[in-house]
Amino acid sequence: MEGFTTTTTKASAQPLENADVLIASVETFIFDCDGVIWKGDKLIDGVPETLDMLRSKGKRLVFVTNNSTKSRKQYGKKFETLGLSVSEEEIFASSFAAAAYLKSINFPKDKKVYVIGEDGILKELELAGFQYLGGPEDGEKKIELKPGFLMEHDKDVGAVVVGFDRYFNYYKVQYGTLCIRENPGCLFIATNRDAVTHLTDAQEWAGGGSMVGAICGSTQREPHVVGKPSTFMMDYLAVKFGILKSQICMVGDRLDTDILFGQNGGCKTLLVLSGVTTLSMLQSPNNSIQPDFYTNKISDFLASKAATV
Amino acid sequence: MVTKSVVSVSVAASITITSSKLVINPAHRFLCLKRLSSFNSFSASSLAIKWRGVSSCSSNKSATAMEGFTTRTRASAQPLENADELISSVETFIFDCDGVIWKGDKLIDGVPETLDMLRSKGKRLVFVTNNSTKSRKQYGKKFETLGLNVSEEEIFASSFAAAAYLKSIDFPKDKKVYVIGEDGILKELELAGFQYLGGPEDGGKKIELKPGFLMEHDEEVGAVVVGFDRYFNYYKVQYGTLCIRENPGCLFIATNRDAVTHLTDAQEWAGGGSMVGAICGSTQREPLVVGKPSTFMMDYLADKFGILKSQICMVGDRLDTDILFGQNGGCKTLLVLSGVTTLSMLQSPNNSIQPDFYTNKISDFLAPKAATKDIELRGDLSSLNGLDCVRIVHTIKSIVRAEQSRAVHKVVAASPRNLLSQPTMSSLATNDRCWKSAPSEIA
Repeated sequence: MEGFTTTTTKASAQPLENADVLIASVETFIFDCDGVIWKGDKLIDGVPETLDMLRSKGKRLVFVTNNSTKSRKQYGKKFETLGLSVSEEEIFASSFAAAAYLKSINFPKDKKVYVIGEDGILKELELAGFQYLGGPEDGEKKIELKPGFLMEHDKDVGAVVVGFDRYFNYYKVQYGTLCIRENPGCLFIATNRDAVTHLTDAQEWAGGGSMVGAICGSTQREPHVVGKPSTFMMDYLAVKFGILKSQICMVGDRLDTDILFGQNGGCKTLLVLSGVTTLSMLQSPNNSIQPDFYTNKISDFLASKAATV
Repeated sequence: MVTKSVVSVSVAASITITSSKLVINPAHRFLCLKRLSSFNSFSASSLAIKWRGVSSCSSNKSATAMEGFTTRTRASAQPLENADELISSVETFIFDCDGVIWKGDKLIDGVPETLDMLRSKGKRLVFVTNNSTKSRKQYGKKFETLGLNVSEEEIFASSFAAAAYLKSIDFPKDKKVYVIGEDGILKELELAGFQYLGGPEDGGKKIELKPGFLMEHDEEVGAVVVGFDRYFNYYKVQYGTLCIRENPGCLFIATNRDAVTHLTDAQEWAGGGSMVGAICGSTQREPLVVGKPSTFMMDYLADKFGILKSQICMVGDRLDTDILFGQNGGCKTLLVLSGVTTLSMLQSPNNSIQPDFYTNKISDFLAPKAATKDIELRGDLSSLNGLDCVRIVHTIKSIVRAEQSRAVHKVVAASPRNLLSQPTMSSLATNDRCWKSAPSEIA
């Protein structure tokens, strides 16, 4: 994320030397998932013990992920499979955020949602009682650009929700574009704009930012983003659990989503180096996002007073 | 003395170009009505000034529809009233294709004759399109199929531009180009002697996001070229992303960033801007654009044909690609309304791109020299006195001036024995440069 902000330059991140002090100073920990709890499908070392320790100290744990491919329920299963004791109500994926956002603006139940994205979004929309079209099955559709050919689109689509979509294709681009350009008042909602994401632990994969970028390119409109770094999910949590932002610590591995999310929300921020960000990226002169603290991984919480980085 | 004569002044505009609204200062209109109504106790209703703008192309708007009182704060596009003048002022015409020459696969009316006429006047014709799906050769065939006499060397598609760009920077022949786009780009790269990967066949490839799965990519790729791609899919997004992010110095080139395009004449289709937008989203980099509105193709042409930019007129249907291209290049610009841009889009307060001229379609070049507006005075005006004449003349003059039209106005007498024989009116006809009438016409 280039571009220095014009606000006062933040003091640079401090290595986390006194985890206990940090833990005692907050009531809730919000964890990003990819690169903090797991990497691809592999659990990161020491995570179960760390979460247990925090719970034993009476801390509330919340898990917020920009990954929209699964619903909260499906994420609950992933946590379970990895041997972690996390309930569905503690999980907030951007798929859930999209549905929650539509609820919060009283999106009419007689309108439809066109989805460029995966199953997670469809499930959350269904749970929230919204009608939808699109999703993975449109991945099979092709268009024939013959003379006079006109692609029809549903005029009742009132919102297009765009997220990571491994079945992305031109049909979806065109359908979403038609809805946004031609249906009056049609909303353009993005679950997230992550450029790359760890879909497998082997490498980085083009993320939701590419699907969203495609629709921005054809509609010349900017989306309403519900995932990090937009504060929508944090505001939602704060209201739902009745917590003060100052009582929260956001823990994540990405500066431009997780840390910015925490800063925009006004809570404490801790960067872990177990994901995509390295120490040199944090300390690079091109980086203007400085978390309050940084550490190797969350299991550093278990270490005695001073953690070594 | 109360007279019952009715003075109705009507303007029949025989403009063949556009149904341009007559821009009239409302104050004048009401003022003139007021003035007239004070003549010899005529009632206002008996003195109606009717304006009738008649155009041969679009809907006839009735006189009472005098909307569009605009106060212009910047030099706005002028309706093309003197095509001959424009034609003689330039040496080369650059035409966009979609929306100017054809729409989808249908030729636009009057195009063959217009091109022939321009050629007969010794003008150089060049065709520049952002469409990268075909090579120049393939475009040559399209022109041929539509019955147009255009050679391959006159055509510059953005597919050609991408290859020409790589040539111009001496892109190494041992490096490869990954293409997110269609056949046109591949053909042009091949012609230029570059190695490439990707293109339509990658449209069939899928990825399996299994644990531990790693997508390999060719480390020799030194440039990713992105253009319109109806076979677009995640595999291509990821491959292009890997090349740009991981191959040191890898270039990111876009043929164009058009948001929408007329792939079929039935509707607008998401354009190259969406494929490019996807790669911008995953790489967080901006591409180098070779198509309009970047001036790469114009610089290339000017160099190749040895022409001065001031000697060129760019003709297109899109403000943010064609017209901006011409303006960036420093040449004259003409917007045609036969494509995606409508007159209201041009005149919208949200639009800041003003071409020099606008017209309905290029066959308007074939229309006669200047638009003539006839101002016809009807009724028995014989009872009006000299002062009345002066007032009428002032009214007409101020309305015409406010109109800001360079059209030639001709005063036409509907009935021979009338006002126009009055000295005031005839002097108006001969002295004022807004008017042009032979004395015989006035009498």
